[in-house]
Amino acid sequence: MDYTWLFQLAWIIPILPLISFLIVGFLGAKFSDKGGMIAIALVGAAMALSLAIAYAALTGGLPSHGAEGAYYTDTIEWVVLGSGFTLSIGIFIDTLTAVMLIVVSFVATLVVIYSVGYMGEEGDRRRRYFTEISLFVGVMLGLVLASSFSLLFIFWELVGLCSYLLIGFWFERPSAASAAKKAFLVTRVGDVMFMIGLFILFNLFGTLNYVEMFDPEVLTEVDQSLLTWGCFFMFGGAIGKSAQFPLHDWLPDAMEGPTTVSALIHAATMVKAGVYLVARMFPLLVHSYEWLPLFIAVIGVVTALMAATMALNSPNIKRVLAYSTISQLGFMFLGLGTGAYLFAAGIYEEGSLGYSAAMFHLMNHAFFKALLFLSAGAVIHFVHTEEMSKMGGLRKYMPITSIVMLLGAISIAGIPPLSGFWSKDELLAVVESAGSENWTFYLLYAMGVCTAFMTAFYMFRMWFKTFTGPEGEATKHAAAHMAHDDHGHKGKDHQAKPGKIKEHTPAVMTVPLMLLAVLAVFSGMAALFFFGTPFYGIVFFEEPIVETGMEILENVFTAWTTYLSIAVAVGGIGLAYVAFYRKSIDVDAFVKRPAVKPLYNMLLARYGFTKGYDWVGMRAVYGFSLVLDWFDLHVIDGIVNGLARGTAKAGRGLRRVQTGFVQTYAGVVVGGAVLMMLLGYFILVLLGVVQPW
Amino acid sequence: MSVEFTTGIPLSWFLLVSATLFTIGVIGILVKRNAIVILMSIELMLNAANINFVAFSAYYDLPMGQVFALFSIGLAAAEAAVGLAILLNLNRLKDTVHVDDLNIMRW
Repeated sequence: MDYTWLFQLAWIIPILPLISFLIVGFLGAKFSDKGGMIAIALVGAAMALSLAIAYAALTGGLPSHGAEGAYYTDTIEWVVLGSGFTLSIGIFIDTLTAVMLIVVSFVATLVVIYSVGYMGEEGDRRRRYFTEISLFVGVMLGLVLASSFSLLFIFWELVGLCSYLLIGFWFERPSAASAAKKAFLVTRVGDVMFMIGLFILFNLFGTLNYVEMFDPEVLTEVDQSLLTWGCFFMFGGAIGKSAQFPLHDWLPDAMEGPTTVSALIHAATMVKAGVYLVARMFPLLVHSYEWLPLFIAVIGVVTALMAATMALNSPNIKRVLAYSTISQLGFMFLGLGTGAYLFAAGIYEEGSLGYSAAMFHLMNHAFFKALLFLSAGAVIHFVHTEEMSKMGGLRKYMPITSIVMLLGAISIAGIPPLSGFWSKDELLAVVESAGSENWTFYLLYAMGVCTAFMTAFYMFRMWFKTFTGPEGEATKHAAAHMAHDDHGHKGKDHQAKPGKIKEHTPAVMTVPLMLLAVLAVFSGMAALFFFGTPFYGIVFFEEPIVETGMEILENVFTAWTTYLSIAVAVGGIGLAYVAFYRKSIDVDAFVKRPAVKPLYNMLLARYGFTKGYDWVGMRAVYGFSLVLDWFDLHVIDGIVNGLARGTAKAGRGLRRVQTGFVQTYAGVVVGGAVLMMLLGYFILVLLGVVQPW
Repeated sequence: MSVEFTTGIPLSWFLLVSATLFTIGVIGILVKRNAIVILMSIELMLNAANINFVAFSAYYDLPMGQVFALFSIGLAAAEAAVGLAILLNLNRLKDTVHVDDLNIMRW
């Protein structure tokens, strides 16, 4: 079926949330809900269009076919500076874009709906919230639809701006203000690298349009060394945006924003942009030198492992989720790096599987991470604290939230058949198979398995500490408050029978949670088995994996890696169960042991990265700035002030020629006229027009 | 082109007279303190120019120079009228026509 007419409408997708941005921004105060319904309506409309276009793209409706697969593109010239320098803007849709469209628009819509409940107590500030979140969704949709790296970069910066605004939403708190600044500045380091990469690639290709750059004939002709360095710097941008080692430390601080914003940043927008960028430049990566994909894989796995260790003992529920996001993003980079490495080494089928598995994990991660964050948001909304030590026993008061969060935790831990299992297992299997090509990948695989174990452990530590065990002070306080409320509104909105406690979270929050829970459970299975072609046969690079669902099942459950994955996941959950539910292990005593205590504190100090950033910012950069300040004050200002002083002095002297006597002026005029005549005479003599007298 | 006038006086004599008059005017402007004398000196300079106009007009046998001289005389009369009016007002206000006493527009 011909869907071209549908693809031609794709430019409307990012426009819809931007219209919401304008309406809510200028007129939001006039609505009783401060623009919440407008934002839901327009973001929802963008979702509907996104899903339609994604459906058309994923069912083979894309009209053009390049070497890297089917695509649709439509561009107009934007900046034309003579011949050879043209920047164009437009739409590019392929299966990668389609997956991103589904993830971004769907999660964003649910988050906006949930926000109506979560931000309900914010009053007039909701206008600012819905304005900024509409802009955020709009620019992220624009980012995934952009037809060139230059346009992508524009949206990339706008995404950074929006996350700055939303992380600093409660700007009156100094910690939120500084977290917003930190997020902006740290990602800026990556953005500068991104720009360097763009310059190199533009110089190399003469264009930044995907279609022209990904032409295989062009790619084999260009200088491989420059291509590699260009991609290296582009990856630097992704490191900053996706919070990878060593630019990861802004993301835990970004928890200062509203939890809905964290959910959006972690599941759909901001950090996923970095993964998307690396996936987008995959055709360039496979033509780079082999060290670059390996470097990406190593960065990914180091980040995954390090972030997972930091999540082990974090006392803050949102921080645990933040570390887990960093860790999972590391997995995605590991998959992309491994895939590109295998391609560069000439192993196409496994390489394509690495690419597809990373994208698959991105999609599944979006659903279960949004679920986990929004559940955590419901918990925080109820108990008004983020410290897990003050929670505990919440299952009684929030049964729905506890169940959906449990589903999310199982999914991320990697227990079959929930979605996280399918993608994480496939990703690790690809890394393991790459080991036969380069032994380093065996090491990376081992680190990945360790990370998977820790993921299962810290996720269930979080769940047990929050929902089970004795009730903490915040739980008791919230429960007392709730009982009081119930008493006050008896017979109105709370019809609970005495003794049975209902979920306290409003439906506008629980319904998105339940929808996300369904996806967190089924998205993996659905993408693999429920549609005619499994995920790997739709979203791929060069080589589709043509397997039926049964073949995939057979491959998965005959590989030893699968059983190792399941075993570590179960082991992690079991350890958490023993330590935090049964309390058979005295955790407090364990961490006080002399051998463990320094490690524990090091993890709490985030390996010193926070201090390191502060040192770089406060000492190194500030010290350098002081030197520049001295130079500015004494050298630059010295020159400028000296010139000014000289001019003023000369003026004071010269103004004495204004005597006020008419005859002085007349004398000057006459003298001048005589001089001019003499000068003219000499010139004429020199030119030989007149003879000297 | 006739070098001689019908009177037989060469052009250079006219120019010499004109230059002399002009120089007298310039010196008068520069050294005299009385504004009325300065105004008269300006008239001398203008008339030196008029002599040049008429002399060249006769020399080249072109009437245009004489027309210019007529205009110039008319202009000089108007200028003298304006200048004398200013001086009259000045005399009423400051009780002086000496330019040395009028140096308030200075640094």
